[in-house]
Amino acid sequence: MPGNPPPYRPDFSGSWEKDFQRSDRWDEELNRQIEQILQAQTQASNPQSNLLRPTMQLGNVPRGRPAELVDLARLAELISRQNVIDITQTAEEVFVRRQGDAALICGTRQNVMQSFSSPYGNEVCGWEREQLVFRISLPEGVDILHRFSVSPDAQWMNLLTSISRRGSTPFNLIQVYRRFDLPPDAYNCVQTLSRGRVCSATGAPGEQ
Amino acid sequence: MSNRVRYYRIIASLVCITVLSACGSTPPAPELPKIPPVGDVTLLQGEQATQAYQQLDLGIVVFNVETPAAQSTVPGSSLYQEIAEKEAHYLPYVLRNILVASDQWGVVRVLPEADPSVDLTLQGTLLESSGLNLQLHLLATDSTGREWINKTYRDETSFADYPGPDPFLRGVSRDEELLAELAEAEDPFVDIYRQIANDLLLFRNTFTQQQIDNISLVSQMRYAADLSPQTFDRTLEQGPDGLWRVVTLLAEDDPMLRRVEDIKLRHHLFIDTIDEYYESLYQEMQPSYALWRRYSRDQALEDRSEVRREFRNDVGSSSFTALSQSYNRYMWAKLFEQEFTALAAGFNNEVAPAILELNRLVHGLTGSVDEQYTQWRDILRQIFELETGL
Repeated sequence: MPGNPPPYRPDFSGSWEKDFQRSDRWDEELNRQIEQILQAQTQASNPQSNLLRPTMQLGNVPRGRPAELVDLARLAELISRQNVIDITQTAEEVFVRRQGDAALICGTRQNVMQSFSSPYGNEVCGWEREQLVFRISLPEGVDILHRFSVSPDAQWMNLLTSISRRGSTPFNLIQVYRRFDLPPDAYNCVQTLSRGRVCSATGAPGEQ
Repeated sequence: MSNRVRYYRIIASLVCITVLSACGSTPPAPELPKIPPVGDVTLLQGEQATQAYQQLDLGIVVFNVETPAAQSTVPGSSLYQEIAEKEAHYLPYVLRNILVASDQWGVVRVLPEADPSVDLTLQGTLLESSGLNLQLHLLATDSTGREWINKTYRDETSFADYPGPDPFLRGVSRDEELLAELAEAEDPFVDIYRQIANDLLLFRNTFTQQQIDNISLVSQMRYAADLSPQTFDRTLEQGPDGLWRVVTLLAEDDPMLRRVEDIKLRHHLFIDTIDEYYESLYQEMQPSYALWRRYSRDQALEDRSEVRREFRNDVGSSSFTALSQSYNRYMWAKLFEQEFTALAAGFNNEVAPAILELNRLVHGLTGSVDEQYTQWRDILRQIFELETGL
């Protein structure tokens, strides 16, 4: 008896480079969000003072929620530094390689699954409509959400990174990536245990 | 610097970064009842030549796998499932070697499935296997249907069970030397197999010579009945205790029985060949598997590391530094696990040719070694029918 057909998943596979023009700048985004918070605070404490709109700059941050937002924004910047993302996708799993960070790996069959668990943090991944989502929970109550979506023509990929702490206002950072083609790999490598990576030139004599 | 040396240094450097010490998800932490380890066990060996009547033939069936890794749906867990399946072929041969070394038994073979011609069948289920812990359930049943052992065994390794330098210094050791040492070293879980061998021996020693003879006789007739049920089924009967016994004895020179013995001889030649396949697989896998288990032990120990306590002291700090440190710990833990997964893939890649060899075509037979075994038994049945005209 044939099994259930696999659920539809958009194809993220390929190499992606950051488009800086279209991506959020973390400091601008921080200023914008702090301004919104301060405005809301001012309005709440004194409804008459909405003409006095304070300008917030880094290094001059009041304590409280905006200070926490700065920490979260800096963390968002730290973990979104990759200029290039390389994604491999099969019928079983999607594998997101990021320079200088651990790969994000999620299965494609199930909607939600635990993809990593350790005393230092847990990771759950899944699919929401056509978005690939990873939620990382660090022990300090920090939640990091990576939400990948790809454009209908498969040429652009959006990565929304959202960080919050114990239910605080999340800091959101949107990075936009453009697809690019890597030249074909000149070597075909296989990982072995005792001999490390064993590589042969692709198209070498005798190779099919 | 060779790729291999570089590779080990990368692994060593990863291990040395203590903040990345806990990696609990690969393979998923087993939730098995805690069974005390067997401890240090001395193998009971025959001090004098084993009596002929003691020489029961043993068949060890390739183990079943019920490890948590085999049931997990975590991405990458299929690698660990693959390893467990390889272990299921490899570990029975380690047990076989110990039983042979005890010098208390007749022929001891590893078989793809239970065989009606052997006197005592050992069926194992692998419940947990890492470089640190091995837990397996063993069911030993003789041809009469009597259970000798139905028990779960566990063994835990210590650092002394593995040769080579301290894992934290491994980056400066020569990997060729380590591999050679690992290849020659005794299996780190040898005590579990010794305990099984001793338990079997102790049980056998409770039998009288007549009881041992009866087991051999029942094996003979059960094999005959397997070949030709219509002829030999009547010679066997299952008693109220569920045990098989021979109710009709055939003359020793009975021509039908002689034909059965001829076919059995050919059958044993075939299962000896299969046993040699498992031996080749064992030889091929042994060095890589020993290395793999050593890494696996390091990883399991890292998981228990005290660094967690150190980390907990930081909880509560709200500065960016504390947050970035926390993220980095998570990231390194995950990187370490991904390196470990890469090692698992490397082990599977390295052992794949040996498994292929095991399942290689045998003259006239096709399919995996299990399928070939079934085909061979069918062929023998057909030969027997042709020769006897039944």
